[in-house]
Formats: sequence, structure tokens, C-alpha cells
Amino acid sequence: MPGLGSAALVVAFGLVAYAAVAGGYAAHRGRRRLLESATNALFASFASVLLAALVLLAALARHDFSFAYVASHTSRELPLGYTLASFWSGQEGSLLLWLLVLTGIGSAAVALNRRLIRTVIPWTVPILGAIASFFALLLVFVASPFATQVAPADGAGMNPSLQNPYMLAHPPLLYLGYVGLTIPFAFAMGALASGRADERWIIATRRWTLASWTFLGFAILLGAKWAYEEVGWGGWYAWDPVENAALMPWLVATAYLHSVMVQEKKNMLRVWNAVLVAGAFCLSLFGTFLTRSGVINSIHSFTQSSIGAWFLGFIAVVAAASTALIIYRLPLLRSRTRLESLVSREAAFLYNNLFLVAFALTVLWGVIYPLVSEAVRGVAVTVGAPYYDFFAVAFGLPLVLLMGIGPLVAWRRASLRAVGRSLLWPAGAALIVGILLLLAGAGSSPAGLVGYTFAAFVLAAIALEFVRGTRARHALGGGSWPAAFTSLVGRNRRRYGGYVVHAAIVLLLVGAVGIGGFGTTQEGKLTQGQSVEVGDYTLTYLGSEQRRAANSQELRARLAVSRGGEDLGTVLAGKNRYFAEQQTSNEVAIRSDWLRAEDLFVIADQFNPDGSVFVKVIVNPLVNLIWLAGLLFVAGALITLWPDAREQRRLARRFDEEGALARA
Amino acid sequence: MARRRSPARLVIALSVAAALAIFLVYTALAGGTPSLRPSQVAGHDGRVSVAGKVVGQPSGTARGPEGLRFTIKDVQGTATLPVVYRGSVPDLFKTGRDVSVEGSLQNGVFVADKLVTKCPSKYTNKQS
Amino acid sequence: MDVLAVALGALLAVAAVAFVARPFLAEPDAEDDRLAGRTSAEQERLELLERRDRALGALKELEFDHRTGKIADADYEASVGPLRREAAEAMRALEPLAPPARAPVEKVDARA
Repeated sequence: MPGLGSAALVVAFGLVAYAAVAGGYAAHRGRRRLLESATNALFASFASVLLAALVLLAALARHDFSFAYVASHTSRELPLGYTLASFWSGQEGSLLLWLLVLTGIGSAAVALNRRLIRTVIPWTVPILGAIASFFALLLVFVASPFATQVAPADGAGMNPSLQNPYMLAHPPLLYLGYVGLTIPFAFAMGALASGRADERWIIATRRWTLASWTFLGFAILLGAKWAYEEVGWGGWYAWDPVENAALMPWLVATAYLHSVMVQEKKNMLRVWNAVLVAGAFCLSLFGTFLTRSGVINSIHSFTQSSIGAWFLGFIAVVAAASTALIIYRLPLLRSRTRLESLVSREAAFLYNNLFLVAFALTVLWGVIYPLVSEAVRGVAVTVGAPYYDFFAVAFGLPLVLLMGIGPLVAWRRASLRAVGRSLLWPAGAALIVGILLLLAGAGSSPAGLVGYTFAAFVLAAIALEFVRGTRARHALGGGSWPAAFTSLVGRNRRRYGGYVVHAAIVLLLVGAVGIGGFGTTQEGKLTQGQSVEVGDYTLTYLGSEQRRAANSQELRARLAVSRGGEDLGTVLAGKNRYFAEQQTSNEVAIRSDWLRAEDLFVIADQFNPDGSVFVKVIVNPLVNLIWLAGLLFVAGALITLWPDAREQRRLARRFDEEGALARA
Repeated sequence: MARRRSPARLVIALSVAAALAIFLVYTALAGGTPSLRPSQVAGHDGRVSVAGKVVGQPSGTARGPEGLRFTIKDVQGTATLPVVYRGSVPDLFKTGRDVSVEGSLQNGVFVADKLVTKCPSKYTNKQS
Repeated sequence: MDVLAVALGALLAVAAVAFVARPFLAEPDAEDDRLAGRTSAEQERLELLERRDRALGALKELEFDHRTGKIADADYEASVGPLRREAAEAMRALEPLAPPARAPVEKVDARA
């Protein structure tokens, strides 16, 4: 059925191209039926792309090796889950996933907001169509998932490091995040293009933006956990360009989420927000480009991938078009309200934005500097962890501090005295924690100590917010304290959900500092019965074992773990040898101690013929707080995203008032 | 009431931009480890990092007395360099992969103690 | 290429074209093909609506911050007056620009 898949993609391309061109003309000339036609085209494109996706899925499930894509990414031995997940493990399939998600959520966003944002939708449709056209163009003419060949006996299989349950979740979640950022971009540019926008599109698309940002953030953490377990070097984030590719748009999206609040409430920062949302979208495209083309290996391997140049061209076009549109509408965007005081919540949001964007830019520079250097000077350089770690600390610490101070500062103008008073308790708590930690030996990492002190400050400030809020609610409404608490959060979801997210970020910081600043490592050769000591753990090598799995041979070293004389069981660490792919992968042993939130990390490097084994053992303190933070992050985001009946009613009233203005 | 003009924003933005520019210039000049091609290593005495593609069959083991012996070649070219490595072998190491090794040249052989494999493009065909 | 795929592909294309052409087929000659725009009076009113909502929102947040003890009484007294004035101003400015008659709204809704 490859023909059907190709046909579906061609039809989809025609539809989105029509949506772009006809939609643009209809919006410009104000033609109602033509716009409806273009909108229908967008909806229909989703159906067409879905059909193409189903064709590919069916081919994968059937092990139809006449599809070149199926043959190069799966094999007969590959378990079904991974076979289906190879939909997105290859270039063509992942482009198809991009287009599927784009047409899907694009259609949904347009359909749900058609009646609510009458001036913006006419422009959002062609913009979405244009973006989709690019991907459809690639799929039809450059990288088709439906290329055929003479079916070989078996396929080439999947890269062993991808054969992991995370492969099932990480890419789709990542894409929901990446592609999801298209929605606020399309609406923002649509608002600019229409020239007559009010701010309701921000309120209407707020949840879309928040959801995408949440998916992206969670996917980044999921990817980190995957790397932690699978690549197994003992760390959780390597500042690899592929990781940074997702981090950059997330940072800018975070900045956007904050400053758009200022626009909603104070009608300020409109130009800045337009720049931010365009930047976030371009970075998400750039991230896709980084992971698709071979450009991260070397600028010379750029030509190996067929689509690198296309992506770069598209990003340039998007950036240029957005810039042109913003400049064209500059008079409209100039706000009439000005920043009144450097000590105000508006200012705090502004500082937050500056640090986030600065951090995103340093990451961007770190990623492209090697390429620039090679292209311009002919000298290849590598930018390593020290560069990123330095700026992560330099920008991260002030950001954490702002998380604590921001919510305590009033809008417009806050007196330093009032701020000082609000900060008293949290600052006191932080100081106590800092001194205690110093006495406990945390001074070995000064940056870590400062980080922990700030973390304590923010957590205390957040706790104070919850306490004060609950107390006020209780004073108002009576009833029990838990009831007051739930009522407080229920009525102020954005604020308190936001606080939970902040707490999650602080938790992440605590975990990151723990593993980064306070870990221990030990390596050596162990004969059977020999022990090694790391931190307060003792590991004894008991022997090696072998096992045959579906598509690999597994070799493991069994080690007994004890701490302070107490037996903590055994761990298995070793290697897997994959037959079809002719590759070996490290399978590390991770023993998580949830009470201390630390991990014992064992890498069995080498099995010697004399029965001895070479191991590397690492103790990662507090690392599990990072994963916990991920869950708390999602929980906080869910609170903020939760539909609010009162808010809906208020918005409905506003839309009615606007509807009453509808044309005669 | 609201002050009509507030240069605050401009001042903040400019100062941050200035600080950032200084950082970037600093790192551009002093930062980044030079990464050489195998053809460029000869003559370098100190510690360097070399990037190339693994060719042929690696022999020995990284934790053995001899270390892991393999050859890397210029990504765009034919110059090769023999490498001896001791340490942890990362997951993705195999013939045909692009790797980066750090160490120094000793008697015509590059003795490395750090080995990093570049994330292979999961998205290009197996053949490339 | 197998016949079934070609046939299904053609069917898909035809369905797509039909769906895209639907607005034109449903109303071959529509008297009003204009896309709803906004007059400057409507735009002005909308901006006032937003100004009013912003002022009311700011008031609400001020009350909340005061109740939870974030803003001292003195600062609250100082800020609440100007905010209330702003909200009142915005609401007053809205009155003269009353919305047009209801009837046209129903007609548009039926078509939308």
C-alpha cells in the first residue's frame, strides 16, 4: 500500500498549500466563503495525513520490508512495541509525525476558537497552512516514508540504545511540545497580521501554550532519565546539542509564559512578547533541524542529510517573515503603559525574562559556536560542560532567587520596606538552612551551598504563600482548614499551580546540585569475592551470568551491596550484545534509595577472560529528586491548566459583549 | 501617576547585553577545546582532542593491559591515526562511528584517556 | 503501483476537493460574502472593555494580596483609590458606545 500513503501525502500537500494561499487571500480581501473553504482544507489535511500515518503503522506491524523505511528501521526479532515506535525513530517517519501533530492540533485550535476570535482566525489558518506546507513538501518531494524497494529477508533493526520503553513515550511527548508551540506562534502572528487584534487570543490560546510547554519540559526530563539509565555514564544531562535543542525553545517559552501574563494584566511588553513567541517557534524548528541533519557531528556532514539545507532555509524564512510583520505592526504594538518602578512585579517578570533569554542565548551560542568556528576559521572546537555549567549557575541562581521574590512583590510599585518585611521569614529560614548545611560539610561545593540556600528561601516563600492564602480564605469563609485550602487553590488555579511548578523547579535544582556537586566515584578490577567501597556502600563481586533475550545476548556481573553492615541485596550490571545490529550496549545497574533520594550507579565495563570484572561505581546523592520534580512539575501544570468554570463564565460574558458588536 | 518615560527597561537590557557580550567574547577566545583532525595531530605535543571516524577492527580491551587499540581516520580525507584507549567504552562505540578522543601523541600513537562517541544520527539510513 | 491504492487515492482526492468546495456549493451566490471585520467604533469599544476588565482584575488582585497580608494597609489604601477610579472611568466611558440592535446577531449566528 505504499502508493496509498504517497497519494495521501500528495493530497495533504495540496490541501495545506491551498489553505495557505487561499486562506491568505481570503483574510486579506475579507472573503468569508473562501476562508471557510481554506479552513476546511486544513481540517481535511489532518484526515489525509492520518491516513498516511495509518498506512505506515500498518506496514510496520506487518513487517512489510518492501517499504524501505520499514526495512531500515525494524527487524523481525524486534518486539512489537519498538516496531511501532520506529514510526518516529527515522527521519521520514518523524517528519510525518510532525505533520500529523501539526495538522491535528492546528485544526483543533482553529475549530475551537473559530467563533471566539473572529479577527485573528482568518490569518491563523493560512499561517498554519504555510508551516504545514513546508513539512508536506519535504515528505512528498525530499524524504518520503513510502519509498519502495525489493523486500529483503529481514530488516536492519533498531539501534539498541533506542530499544527502551522510553522510546515509546519520549519522542511523541517531545513533538507535542515542539509542534504545540506553533499554536501560540500562529495566533500571535495572526493577531499582528489582522492589525485589529485585541488581547483575547492570548486568553484563548493560554492553555494550548501551557500544555505544549508542559509536554516539552516533561519530555526533556524523560529524555534525561533515559540518558541516565541507558547511556549510563553516571550523569543526567550532558549538554549535548541534541539535548540543548529541546532546552532552548523551552527556556524561551518559559519567558513567554511569564511576560504574556504582564501583557494580559498591564497591556505592556507587546513587542517583546511577539519577539519571544516567534523566537520560541524558530528555536523549536531549529531544534528539529539539529536533530535531523547531521550538522552536529561536523559542518561537513551537513550534506549527508538531505533535509538540513531545507530546514535552515525554512527557519530563515520564518524568522524574516516574523521580523517583517513585527516591524510593520510596530505602531500598533507600542504600549501606552510604561514600567513604573524597578521594584515591582512587572520588573521582576522582566528580570526573569532577561535571565531566561540570556541563558537560552548562551546555550544557543554553545551549540553553534563549533559550527561557526569550523566554517569561518577552519578550526573545529568542542564546547564542553564547563561552559554550560558556568552559565547555568550564573543565570540559574538569580532566576531561583526571583522565583522567591517575584510573588512577594506588588504590581506597579512596591516599597522596599514592604518587600523586606515579606521576605523576612523565608530569608531567615534560608539562612538557618545554609548554616546547617555548611556545618554538615556542604561547603565543598560553594555554588551548591548557595544554590541550596536559595532553594530553601524559595520553598519557604512558597510555603508562606500557601499558609497566608489558606488563613485568609479560612477567615473569609470559615469551615475546615483543608476545605479552605482546596477552595483557595480552586479559586486561584493559575497562581497556586504556578507556585507548585516553581517548587518543582527548586526540587530539580536541589537534585541537580546533589548529583553534580556532592557525588563520589570509584573504579577498579574485581575478582570473584573481592569488594570495593564507595561512599558508605560496600560492593562485593559474586560472579557473572549469561542469558539470551529475544534479540540479544545478555552478560551480567552480580554484586552484593551492603551499607554499614546491613545487606541491601544484589545488583546486576553488564552488557547486551545485539545480533541484528552487531552492537554492544552497556546495561548499568541503578539501585535507588528513596529514603535518601540517592542512587548507587554501577557500570560493569569489561568482563575479563580470567573471570574478573572491571567496574565503575558512582554514588549520586539526591538524584531522584530530579525525577520527582518532573512529576511535581506536571501536577502543578495540571492545576494551572484545569478548566475553571468561573473563568469560563467571565470569558463567555466578554465574548457576548463582543458578539453584540457583530456586523449587521 | 505613571511616569511618562522610563528608561529602566532600556538600561537593564543594555547592561545585560553588555555583560553577555563580554562573557561571549571571553569564551570565544579562551574557551572551547581545539578539536583536531587525525591529519593535524603530528607535531602537537601537549594534550589535544582529536575527532575522526573509527575504521578497521578495534583490538584489545579498554580495561586490559594493552588498552583498546583502534584507528581513526579523517572524516573528510584518508589520513589515519592509531589510538590506544584506557577507560570506559561508551555504548555507541563501533567501527564506522564518529568519535572524539582526548589525550596526547606518544611515539606516533595517540594515547587517550577520554573517549566520546558522537550521537549517531538516529534519523539517517543505516547505510550512511 | 497497485490498482486499489490508486483507486483509494483518487477517492481521497475527490473527497478532499468536495469538502474544500463545500462553502461555495452550499451558497452558490451569497449576498454577503464579506468577512466580519470591525469598525473603528467597535474596536474602540473593545479596547475600553479590555481596559475595564484589566482594572477590575487589578482591583481583585490588590484585594487578594491585601487579605493575604502581602500588601500593608498603608500601601493598600494608597493604591485602591486610583485603581477604583480607573475602573469607574473605563465603565463610564463604555456607556455612550452602546451595542447595536440584537436582530443582526441572530442572522449571522444561523449562518456561522
